[in-house]
Order: sequence, then structure tokens, then C-alpha cells
Amino acid sequence: MKKIVFLFLLLCYNISSFSQTASEIITKSDDKMRGETSYSEIIISAVRPKWSKDMKLVNWTKGSDYSVSLVKSPAKEKGTVFLKRKAEVWNNIPSIERNIKLPPSMMMQGWMGTDLTNDDMVKQSSIVVDYSHNIIGSETIQDLDCWKIELIPIEDAPVVWGKIIMWIDKSDYIQMKAEFYDEDGFLINKLLSYNIKNFDGKKLPSKMEFIPVEKKGQKTIIEYLVWKFGVTIPDKYFTSQYMKRLK
Amino acid sequence: MIVKLAWRNIWRNKRRSIITIVSILIAVFLSVSMRSMQLGMYDHMIKSIVASYSGYIQIHANGYMDQQTIDNSIEVNDDLLDSIANINGVNNIINRLQTFSLASSGDLTKGVLIQGVEIEKENLLVDWTTRLDTGVFFSNNNSDVILSKGVASYLQKGVGDTIIFIGMGYHGMSAAGMYKICGIVDMKNPKINNLTVFMSLQNAQEYLSAPNIVTHIIIDKEVKIDERKLSSSIKKELDNNQYEVMDWRELLPELEQTIKADNVGGLIMVFILYMIITFGIFGTVLMMTQERFYEFGVMISIGMKKLKLIKIVLLETITLSLIGVILGIFAALPIMYYFNIHPIKLASEQAEAMEKFGFEPIIPMSTNLEIPLTHAALIFCISLIISIYPVITILKLDTIKAMKN
Repeated sequence: MKKIVFLFLLLCYNISSFSQTASEIITKSDDKMRGETSYSEIIISAVRPKWSKDMKLVNWTKGSDYSVSLVKSPAKEKGTVFLKRKAEVWNNIPSIERNIKLPPSMMMQGWMGTDLTNDDMVKQSSIVVDYSHNIIGSETIQDLDCWKIELIPIEDAPVVWGKIIMWIDKSDYIQMKAEFYDEDGFLINKLLSYNIKNFDGKKLPSKMEFIPVEKKGQKTIIEYLVWKFGVTIPDKYFTSQYMKRLK
Repeated sequence: MIVKLAWRNIWRNKRRSIITIVSILIAVFLSVSMRSMQLGMYDHMIKSIVASYSGYIQIHANGYMDQQTIDNSIEVNDDLLDSIANINGVNNIINRLQTFSLASSGDLTKGVLIQGVEIEKENLLVDWTTRLDTGVFFSNNNSDVILSKGVASYLQKGVGDTIIFIGMGYHGMSAAGMYKICGIVDMKNPKINNLTVFMSLQNAQEYLSAPNIVTHIIIDKEVKIDERKLSSSIKKELDNNQYEVMDWRELLPELEQTIKADNVGGLIMVFILYMIITFGIFGTVLMMTQERFYEFGVMISIGMKKLKLIKIVLLETITLSLIGVILGIFAALPIMYYFNIHPIKLASEQAEAMEKFGFEPIIPMSTNLEIPLTHAALIFCISLIISIYPVITILKLDTIKAMKN
């Protein structure tokens, strides 16, 4: 037992010799993407071999527990609201005048015709809490020196991936690239970041591509038009009662 | 001379001849009415499922049958419809748009198949007013829906209530809408009854954000055209990379297999019937030959050529079988036609079982003339084969022995 503890300490010492632990890097990167509160305007495009669909969304987030998104276009889906409160997801569809609480069974379904699942919308924070982190090397992605970090889910964590590998930029903690593997070690999804811009004083990618590897010709592109941090958002924005009034 | 002798021989022993004729008559009559009943039932099954609902031929976007999603669909335009309508044998073209959605009312939800239909054209396939349980039909420009019986009873909704649909639309659009229920239909098919919701094609296209999009083009063929020929001529006309053309055999393989399996059972029955008949006829011929042993002996000993005798005997058998076969056909025909117009109505349990499969519980007989003709020809052949026996007997005949008996 003492031996194991000793080895563990030795291991920790080794990792800290990178000056930061992998967990610190992931946490910093995650905090940076989110901020305490944020407001963003994005365009999500679902690209398919024969067609593509663009959607304009406005998002408000508060910490990692609360976020709300409002669809601005296309006209037919305008006014649709997605609200995330901790582990719950609510959906308001104006044309049927209903708030729907998405059941767990719908979490793996595609989100509004994109490659993202409802689960992707909710479980964003879990890269910090639900995985053990390990730096496995350094690589250059788009001229930026990056840490290559392996994320292995901790036991009993409610995650679907068997392994995630992330490339995080060493100077600004930008998630430049991520690869999602299933339990059998097959690459399922890829996330790529482009066009680093200065948003409200933070360097962040303005364009992200989400690529399901096995589906040829398919991807989802997320483009940030506006991204502000530290904005004041009324608490009522994150209640299901307010969803249909959100403008 | 030979003909005359044969004719006289037939009428010399009237009872013997009549027994032979009647046994052939019964054989023809039984096999024809049995097959006609069976084939008539298949026709009825095909008609009630195929002609009234799935159509003899369907056109989809290529690959739709394997992956039935709204994104695998056809954009219709007048050019496409005209080019199909111009094919010889096409009677009507009916467009449908179908997709799965979630239907909800109160706390109840159910996955349903939403069918966008052109109701006035569907009426040409089958009269929908007979299917309407309560309420009225939607018109093309209102957004009312018709529920099938099973869906309505599951969701506990009736005419005048509101129902909500949520699903995936065309090209990633989300689909959601509230609709008023204007009617409830009984589609006489439990599979359809428990799953389907009908709305106008226009309404469905709007719900799914799919203007001019259909998933099925149903071809209503002219009655006399063979669907396999028609389907191959449609295939020739259309771009096969873009469209798939299927006839009902491919669309409803289970129906075809049911019919095939049942048909084999029927053929086995006919075969057994034939065996019995064959031995029946053989018995009479055997008796006939044995009876005339002495006569044959005398004829040959006074100088009749064996070949001539054989010719006479053969002619007798042919005449007897012909008479039997023709009488059999004429006995069966009126029954076939009568039960075609006044089909046999099944009662109680059997009727319920058939209704469960979506058929009206009746068995109309087929009036296809191929049935009496083939069976008559078959039985005629059997009696010819049997007449080999007297031929062999004559050839082997020892005159002295024959006369001594």
C-alpha cells in the first residue's frame, strides 16, 4: 500500500514537472470557454452530402449549470427555445405552445437536425469532473503549440465516450482539436477549431467544425458572430416559465 | 368404319359408359371449383390490400425502401408526373407523403405514421366514405387531420379535439404543429388502424417544411394490364439512379408468401384429388377391358387387326373423356359465376380472423377461364394415359386363352 502511494506521489511529481497538471489545463480551458456569464450569437450549419441548413441562435449562459438558446432563423423554427437547468433540458416550441422536458431517452437524438446530440448540449461541463486527465505529448495544430491530453472517464461517470483526446493551445488554453473515441477505441467524432479571434478580451476560436467520422460528407459548423463575457443576465432567463417570452 | 364401331361400342353398354363419363365429370367439377375458390380468394386478398391501399406499383426515391426517411424523397413536378401518366396502362397517379412523428394529447403520446394524401385521388382507388367512422373529411386547404381508429382510441381523442405532432421535417427542419381532428376512419387493417394519421398532402408538406416533396407515387393501373409489365415499362421511362419502381410483390412480400404457401397446400389437395380420380377412372377402364376380354378374343380370331382394335378402343376412351370433361366444365361454370357475384360469406370466428388481416370475410370464386381449361386438359391427359392399359392388353392378347375364359 505504501508503495502504491509512493508511486502515485512520484507520478504526480512527474506530471507537475510540466509546470501544470493536465487537470488544471482542462479546467482553465473549460472556464475560459464559458466564463461566469456569457452572451453569444452563433450560426450553426448542418452540412449533408446533398443539402445544408443554417440556423441563427442567441445564447445566454451562466456558469456551467444554466444556459438558454433562442432560435432566430429559419423563419419556421424562429422562437424555439432550449433551456438547460443543471441536468434538465427544456424545449419550447411556439407553434404548439408547449414546454417539453426532454426525457433521458431523447438525449442521444440529434439536436435540430445537426450532428450534435441533446446530450452534447447538457454535458459540456463533464470534461472537468467526469474524466481523469493525462498529458501524453505536445503537437502543433494550425501553427499553435498544443498539449495533447488524454481524457479517460472515471468509473461510474455518466459519459458515452471511452476516451477523448484534446489538443489545447499552450499560451491561450484554446481547445484546438478534440477526438472522441467509443468504448472499443474507434474514432467517432472530431472537433476542429479555426479562426482565432479576440472576443471581449479573450482569444477564442470563432469557427468550430464537428465531424462525425463514419458519416461521409456530414459535418456541423458552429460560427460565433458575437461572444461577450461577464454580462448581467436576469435569473428569470433560466426558468421554464420565461421561455415563451424570451426575445 | 372405326368411328362408327367405336360409337356403337360406347352405347352398347350404356351403364359402363355413363359411369366413366360421370367419374371424369366429377373429377373436373371438383378440381375446377376448388381451384376457382382458392384463386378467387387470393384475388380478393390482393384486391383488398393492394388495390385499395398500397397500389399495384409504387415509385419511391432510390433507396427509400431500405431507409424510409423524409430526406429520401421525390420532388415532384409536372414533367415527372406527365411522363409517368403517358405510359400505357397507367390509370391514375396518386402522391403520398409519409413520415413518422410523435403524436401527443394531454399526458399520452404515441408514435404515429403521418400520411399526407390527396383525398380526391385516393377516392379513385377505393371509396373512402365507407371507411369514415365519424366526422368528415378534410379539405385541401384546411389543416384538419383524420385519425385512424386505433390511434384515436389510444390517445382518447374524438372529432373536434386538438392533437399535437412533433417530429423531424425535411432537410433537418424541426416539425411541430397543432391540428384539429375532423374525422376518424376505420381502415379495416389493424396495422394501419393502430398507426396512421391522415392529413392533406399540402398540409403534410407544410408541417414537414417540404414543398413539392412526396415519398410515394402510387400507380393505379388499368385493370387488364399486367403489373409486372407495367412496372418494367415505368422502369424504362425513369432514371433508375433516382427512383425505385416496385410492384406489390416486392412491397408486400409477406402477402405474396402467404399466397404462395397456401397455394402449394391447394396444389397438394388437387394432387390428392387427382390421384383418387386417376384410380377411379382406371378402375372403370380396367373393368371395361376385363369385361370385353372374350369379345376382343373373338374379334381378333375372326381376322380383325390388333392395330385397328386398338384404334377403336382409344377412340372410345377419347370420346368418353371428352364428353366427361365438357360436361364437367359446364357443371362448374354456373357455380363459379354464381359465387363470383354472390360470394360465400364467412361466419363468426373465421370472419373475425380474416377481418383482423384486413380482408372482408368473403370468398368470391374466380371466373378466370384458365382454371377450367387447364384442369379439363389435365384430366383429359390422365384418361389418355390410362387408356394405355387396354392397348397393352390387346397387344398381349392370346386369342385362345381369351376365348376360353
